[in-house]
Amino acid sequence: MDYCLNTISDEEKEILQEIMNIAFGKAAADLAEVINIFVVLSVPYIEMLMAHDLPVYIKSQVSEYDRVSIVEQNFWGEFKGSAFLVFQASAGRELISLFGDGSGDFGSESIDALEKETLMEVGNILIGACVGKLSELLGDAVTYSPPRVVTENTPNDAIPVNIFESGSSAIVLKTVFCFNERNVHGFLFLVTSHDSILWLKKSLAAFMEQYE
Amino acid sequence: MTLNELTQIFDTVNFGLVVLDRDIKIQYWNRWMAMHSGIPSDQIIGEALFDFFPHLSTPSFNKNCKAVLSFGNFAFFSQKLHSFLFPFKPDSSFGYRFELMQQSCTMGPLRSDDNSISGLFLIVQDVTELATYEQKLIEMNTKDALTGIYNRRFLESRLSDECERHRRHSRYLSLIMIDIDFFKKVNDTYGHQCGDMVLQAVASKAVSVIRKTDFIARYGGEEFCCLLPETSAENAEVVAENIRMSIEEMTNCFENHSIKVTISLGISCFVAEDSPETLLKKADDALYQAKHSGRNRFVRLSPT
Repeated sequence: MDYCLNTISDEEKEILQEIMNIAFGKAAADLAEVINIFVVLSVPYIEMLMAHDLPVYIKSQVSEYDRVSIVEQNFWGEFKGSAFLVFQASAGRELISLFGDGSGDFGSESIDALEKETLMEVGNILIGACVGKLSELLGDAVTYSPPRVVTENTPNDAIPVNIFESGSSAIVLKTVFCFNERNVHGFLFLVTSHDSILWLKKSLAAFMEQYE
Repeated sequence: MTLNELTQIFDTVNFGLVVLDRDIKIQYWNRWMAMHSGIPSDQIIGEALFDFFPHLSTPSFNKNCKAVLSFGNFAFFSQKLHSFLFPFKPDSSFGYRFELMQQSCTMGPLRSDDNSISGLFLIVQDVTELATYEQKLIEMNTKDALTGIYNRRFLESRLSDECERHRRHSRYLSLIMIDIDFFKKVNDTYGHQCGDMVLQAVASKAVSVIRKTDFIARYGGEEFCCLLPETSAENAEVVAENIRMSIEEMTNCFENHSIKVTISLGISCFVAEDSPETLLKKADDALYQAKHSGRNRFVRLSPT
């Protein structure tokens, strides 16, 4: 067992991965059952990084996209951090038809504004489902900031450079998602700050105790 | 703090506060909501929200309620996308642009002591004033002050968007550059006030002739530019001829003078190699030819 406070051990990583698997499975099932959104979430991947390496890491992960739209939302609880949902910029238009009421009545708003608002709603629900289920399994309840949307020409400009203090470490949870009925996919990154690591280690231990 | 103290605060705040149970029945309705809806809280508490506001029972609203109740996330109903949730009269004279109060609403979960979600709350903020300012700003930024049609800035940003979209989907896109013939003469003979009136008349005439999907902007002094998405060269010629004819037929009255003007038009059609600049340049070249071959006509240069 690794007792270093600032990092998580391979074993803890495995447990976290398992918990995420369960959480995201539940999230996907509930999204389908409760609100008819059929989304496939890939097996999550966990990475331990220094905070200042984050932008480079996220950029390298989404390099296949030439233009990106990013939904950013912060969450607070014992489990706290930021969620980044990265779409290809063209996804916005597809999502309007997937999530709109189908009334087609959007008043005088431009299609760009609509895309942005739709991305925000979709992001809010997807992030809420994933973070909500994950924190629930870890025995926590979190609150959220309103989502923000950034659309940029290149991934380079869209990713905030200093989310966390540069000296601190961060855990990045990555999953790929896609909407069944549309050819819309993207990445979800949950970045949890340094402050949550101690709590996370305790919760992981508590989670395992149920099975011991 | 006691519940009584909290209630005093909730009844004083300048936003709406509604608490709903899991069956979307109203549990709390603060004074702001009572004031703006005209429904006192004792009449609505315990009742189903959708009985009083049936229009709220949309797939999107229900979706958000369910999401908040099962995931414990927050839902944000922005003014941009929804305009409002509750149809209230605007509060102040700022509301003159909107028939109904513009609202930005937030929905979140209410948890019991065991962390399970027992219901949800809804916060309703009046953003009519902000939305009005925003509309005015957008208008000032995109419209030409004299003629009220779009300005050059708007046209240029729209043009680059359209070029990109039409390149991606290999669709038709046409552009018409319009110039009033001998406009300087109008100004010199009747004065600038008259010139301004002619500009306004030409602009509003052209707007009334083009189709709903077309954009027309004031490009320069007496120059206008019309962007025609999804329009082939042949159809662009039809639009150009319609504009030309309607201006030719128009008579403007200014201080007992009746003034007639004509326009020359240059048409260009988008090809894959085009940039917004080359598309404008081609239309300009065609306009130049129209001027030099006698005015009051349109010219489309065939692609070389």
